[in-house]
Amino acid sequence: MSVTVPIVHVVDDDASFLTAVSRLLRANGFSVKTYSSAHKFLAQRDADAPGCVLADLQMPEMSGLDLQAALAQTSNPLPILFLTGHGDIPSSVQAMRDGAEDFLEKRAPKEQLLDAVTRAIARDSCEREARDRQRELRVLFDTLTDREREVLAHVVQGRLNKQIAWDLGIHERTVKLHRTAITTKLQVQSVAELTHLTQEAGIFEELIHTFPKGQ
Amino acid sequence: MSVITILWSMSAAACLTLATINFMVWLKDRKALANLLFSLFATGTATFAFCELRMMRAATPAEFATVLKWAHIAVWLLVVSLVGFVRFYLKAGRPWLAWMVCGLRTLALVINFLVGQNLNYREIIRLQPVSFLGETVQIAEGVPNPWMLVGQLSLAALFIFIADATITAWRRGDRHGGLAVGGGAVFFALVGTIQSVSIFWAIVRIPIVSSLSIVALVAVMGYELSSDMIHASELGRKLRESETGLHESEERMRLAIEAAGFGVLVRDFSRNEMWASDRWRALFGFSGTDRLEFDRVIQRIHPDDRDALHLVLERARSGHGVYDAEFRAVLPSGEVRWIGARGRVEFDGAGKPALARSVSHDITGQKETEREAQNLRREIAHVGRVSMMGQLASALAHEINQPLGAILRNAEAAELFLQDQSPDLEEIRAILADIRKDDQRAGNVIDRMRGLLKRQDLNKRAVDVADLVGEVAALVRSDAAVRHIKLELAVAHNLPPVFGDLVHLQQVLLNLIVNGMDALEEANREDRRVSIAAGLDGPKTIQIAVSDSGPGLPADKLAHIFDPFFTTKANGMGMGLPISHTIIVAHGGRLWAENRSEGGASFRFTLPIAEKDASQ
Repeated sequence: MSVTVPIVHVVDDDASFLTAVSRLLRANGFSVKTYSSAHKFLAQRDADAPGCVLADLQMPEMSGLDLQAALAQTSNPLPILFLTGHGDIPSSVQAMRDGAEDFLEKRAPKEQLLDAVTRAIARDSCEREARDRQRELRVLFDTLTDREREVLAHVVQGRLNKQIAWDLGIHERTVKLHRTAITTKLQVQSVAELTHLTQEAGIFEELIHTFPKGQ
Repeated sequence: MSVITILWSMSAAACLTLATINFMVWLKDRKALANLLFSLFATGTATFAFCELRMMRAATPAEFATVLKWAHIAVWLLVVSLVGFVRFYLKAGRPWLAWMVCGLRTLALVINFLVGQNLNYREIIRLQPVSFLGETVQIAEGVPNPWMLVGQLSLAALFIFIADATITAWRRGDRHGGLAVGGGAVFFALVGTIQSVSIFWAIVRIPIVSSLSIVALVAVMGYELSSDMIHASELGRKLRESETGLHESEERMRLAIEAAGFGVLVRDFSRNEMWASDRWRALFGFSGTDRLEFDRVIQRIHPDDRDALHLVLERARSGHGVYDAEFRAVLPSGEVRWIGARGRVEFDGAGKPALARSVSHDITGQKETEREAQNLRREIAHVGRVSMMGQLASALAHEINQPLGAILRNAEAAELFLQDQSPDLEEIRAILADIRKDDQRAGNVIDRMRGLLKRQDLNKRAVDVADLVGEVAALVRSDAAVRHIKLELAVAHNLPPVFGDLVHLQQVLLNLIVNGMDALEEANREDRRVSIAAGLDGPKTIQIAVSDSGPGLPADKLAHIFDPFFTTKANGMGMGLPISHTIIVAHGGRLWAENRSEGGASFRFTLPIAEKDASQ
């Protein structure tokens, strides 16, 4: 995972505004890329690169809200900031509900705009970190055998070895062996740590889901 | 048996019978004075006939004298009742003559008892048997009483009175009964006078047989009266028949009225009484036993509608005659229903209102439909407002904000670049060029909006100012009512049409009125009025003013209210007035605002009067 400079992607059908806002952002030390439509941005963007999107809400063909929806489907959904010539309440509500980072008027004070962009990049960085860690943990969890995953599912539920053995129809001693293998592979010391890691990897739900299979 | 006895007895009996019958008639109908008088006349006749018989058969002069004396009571009765009869039956005759006849006859009666043996004789010396109708009857011979002239004078006066009354009745067109009764009475008076003079002054020697002529008169009078009675009973029968028919048609009418849900109210002004059908009572929430009084009925009318209803009723009472009103009735249960009433006032001979009849029915449903239609109209008006002014405003806001936003960002960037040690002048030059370009763009947007209205959108023709104001007022009237705002219209009469685009002018007027109402809303005032006035503003111009009783415009903002995006409303777009201004200017008029000295703001615009050619 290469460390790259976050980029502000500005999407607006109005070329003049596009130029002006990119000038201001660059002058404030941001890296900027400009796109005259949502389609062009989706086609040209580097899927892994950090940054945020600053998009006009009202654009022909694909509107800002459409872009937000399309972005949410990708593996790297960048935070999105909306710009509007004239704030209209229904679309702003919709945008915020769908997780828009912010909603700004085109003539909003400069400070508001810059703060919002900074915040969006910071959020992207956090989310990106979380996503990266999750990916690493998933690789780690993938080293577990099916049986070990089954035992893990019971362990994170707080069940005793005896119960797990009974449930899975195996010897208690075998359960203990599986547990040792799990903690070794995942490099954890305690059950608490194990539970935390499972949650962090985002596979807790997945494990619970497999639980009934063991019965 | 003697012919005389039979004749005289039968006459008397017939007279008495007729007297009794007519007396009974009078007893049943006290207004039938003619019948009473005829009854008295017939009684007098019978009595006199009896006296005559007695005199003809008198044994001594003294007996003759006594009977004659008492016979004068009958004569008095005959004369007086005949005078009365003629007055009442013919409705004619001079009153002074009538009084003279009665007076003379009464005087004669008094003399009859005071002077001599009776009115006719000082003294009856002897009886003279004469032959009459093949029998021997007595006649008197004696000294005539000169006072007898009074009685004879009364008979002559009676003759004149009746003759005069008969002529009057004849002239009036009462040809039949008048002639028969009058003629008969004249005949009686004449015969009576002649007989009296000739017998008592001893010119002829016959017995007193006046009753025969009187009986003839009785027969004529009786015939007339009974034919009147037959006529009356015929009328009565017809009336009963028509009453039955009337009842039938009334019943049918009632059924129709009730079936249609109409309530009927009849108000009698002279007796101050009211009668209402059951349906009417139900409509206004009165029970069948409640006494109806105008004040109580008025209490059932919604307070807001009372004045208007009073006005309508007053107009109907003061000569208009008919009325048509719609108002709300508030029932004791609190239920409010809309009533539609139509009425008619009937006037008496003196032109004063006598009776009012009205039908009322429940129009709540109809009113609701109307209100829905009004709501719909209001929505349409709103949509219209939004679609034209609002949409245009929104589009303009977006279009103008783009270049303005770009200008702002470019300027901010330039400021930052200038803070560099060695500013990139090339970049700054580019920025300035862009700023200039965007400014041009923003200007173009505004020009385009103006051009849009100027060029193709104005479909000018002759527009009637009263129609223009009336239609827009109709659009906002329900809205105003909901907001408790009084809408006042003052359009001068016979204004010439203006030359303009009806739809655009409606939009302007609508915008100004809604602005006025909004101003009242924010002011939260007691006195809530928006008035629209239209009048001539010169030979070729008409001015329309929309004024409100709101707080007026702040002096510092007065200069900016026509600037785009300038607004004092919480969620206003600031585009209504600029667009209105553009529209009016495109019409060759002016739109300006001022604060009124009595408070509130006034928006005024002028429009050119349509040329004669344009209005054709």
